[in-house]
Amino acid sequence: MGLANYLTAWQDKSFWISVYRVAYYGVVQVTIMLVLALILALFLDSPFVKSKGLFRVIYFLPYAVPGVIAAIMWGFLYSPDLNPILQIFGVFTGGKPLNLLNSGTVLYGIMNMATWAWTGYNMTIYFASLTSIPLDLYDAAKIDGCNEFQTAWHIKLPLLRQVIIMTTVLSIIGSLQLFNEPFVLSSLTSIPANFTPNMDIYNMAFAYGNFTYSATLSITLVLITFIASLLFMWATSERKKSKSKKIKNTVINDKRLGTSTLSYHAKGEKSL
Amino acid sequence: MSLTSKSHATTSLQRRNHKSSKDRVKTSLSMILIIVMAAYFLFPLYWLIVAMTKSTNQLFNTSMLAFPAHLNLWANLKWLNSYQNGMFWRWVLNSIIYAVGAGVLGTLVSAMAGYALSKYNFKLKNTLSVAILGSLMIPGAALAIPVFLMVKSLGLINTYAGVILPMIVNPFGVYFMMVFIKESMPGELIDSGRVDGANDYKIFFRIALPIIRPGLVTLFLISFIGAWNNFFLPLVLLNKTSFYPLTVGLQIWTANLNSAGTGQPLYPLILIGSFLSILPMLILFPILRKHIVSGIAMGGVKA
Repeated sequence: MGLANYLTAWQDKSFWISVYRVAYYGVVQVTIMLVLALILALFLDSPFVKSKGLFRVIYFLPYAVPGVIAAIMWGFLYSPDLNPILQIFGVFTGGKPLNLLNSGTVLYGIMNMATWAWTGYNMTIYFASLTSIPLDLYDAAKIDGCNEFQTAWHIKLPLLRQVIIMTTVLSIIGSLQLFNEPFVLSSLTSIPANFTPNMDIYNMAFAYGNFTYSATLSITLVLITFIASLLFMWATSERKKSKSKKIKNTVINDKRLGTSTLSYHAKGEKSL
Repeated sequence: MSLTSKSHATTSLQRRNHKSSKDRVKTSLSMILIIVMAAYFLFPLYWLIVAMTKSTNQLFNTSMLAFPAHLNLWANLKWLNSYQNGMFWRWVLNSIIYAVGAGVLGTLVSAMAGYALSKYNFKLKNTLSVAILGSLMIPGAALAIPVFLMVKSLGLINTYAGVILPMIVNPFGVYFMMVFIKESMPGELIDSGRVDGANDYKIFFRIALPIIRPGLVTLFLISFIGAWNNFFLPLVLLNKTSFYPLTVGLQIWTANLNSAGTGQPLYPLILIGSFLSILPMLILFPILRKHIVSGIAMGGVKA
């Protein structure tokens, strides 16, 4: 009897459509967000940017805004009545103003909300890791003739590898749990009640009172989350392993290096 | 990532040595990118400040990014104060109670658990540590139904305790405290405390807590912000308007915009309410940022 619910879940087409939707959302949004966060962190760590402290505060500011408030703000901004700027985009959409509340585009509207909210947060993590790289390493790179871009590509990025994997896993988990933004938007536009798996789960339990089936869907979602995270960690641990090891060895062999990088590596590995 | 204050000192010293470039082309191009991105992050907040000074009519009929000729801010504020007998301020009070309660109790419980895991030896210690790390991967929303059923069976639906209790349990907090205490508190201190005749409680409260104060501040701030921003848990656990925190209350007002027969649309109230609910954080953020960063840099917590 207990497994019957899982059989139903297996055949629950609308649930799997919502899983596919957040998976697609996750791939696009997490990529954009983390690449942007990396670029910003590398620029803020470069000698080309002034007033770094100020920009770090500004980028991190959305972290202090509750997701629901961010969704309300952007939700209003997506309405062409309130935001005439969207009408300029009519050039691309054939005269009609861009409406991010349409059923076809609302997912991209949500991507923008999440990118706005979490890019600075991830950038902050990257930047904090970058500042724990000792400057001696950069001096050595300079002697070898590396320019800023090469230093970023060959030294900074490989050293950020662990942190990038960690933030990606957390972002994947976050995407699969998507709830607040579409839930708020569902009151401004016509998003179906089972738009994301979590909305489906919430709706099943608190609108229909079907707690057992809702729990079945929860467990299924947790399993999907685990599998996605583990797959990602497995894929990234196999690939490029030899390459990053080489870099680590050169780092460790560098006599001028302080102990902080060594401990940083040891901890970075332990934490995952 | 080292948590000790010593490494922070060296990094800031290192950064000071990091001179800025004299290459004008690269500097200007970089600054353009950096400023454009800053504008993107500030844009909705600027719009919110402008929009909350408008009446509903002005909102739809005046220039989007300019303040109106006749500021309506005071009228909006008065309306907010009187609407549903000042329900908004009740939500503010509720949010403060939830956030302070979850922040203080959650930090204390995490510190105790982290202290036990890092300083005591007991059976299944390693298994427990791994289990806590593993539970970091379990999405909070998946626990909504068991949490709801437990809180319900305790008879705590629509109570402050019902919302605060589940938020006290924080695997990230335990993990954070475990690492922090391991790094910042030498084991000899416990031994010397014992020699002086202090019991375990005294050692924890009198010796450990003062030493790990920076970690406590960081974890309190992260838990406070997490609880203040939390939406899903209070949404599930509450159905009485007077117990809502700001997030749920403002969402309900937004949801009512489209439903017919609820009087005039509440746009100005939602906008000014949203602004007031983020104002304290916006003011305190530049001061508190450093404490928060040291925490999230360690594990990355999504609230």
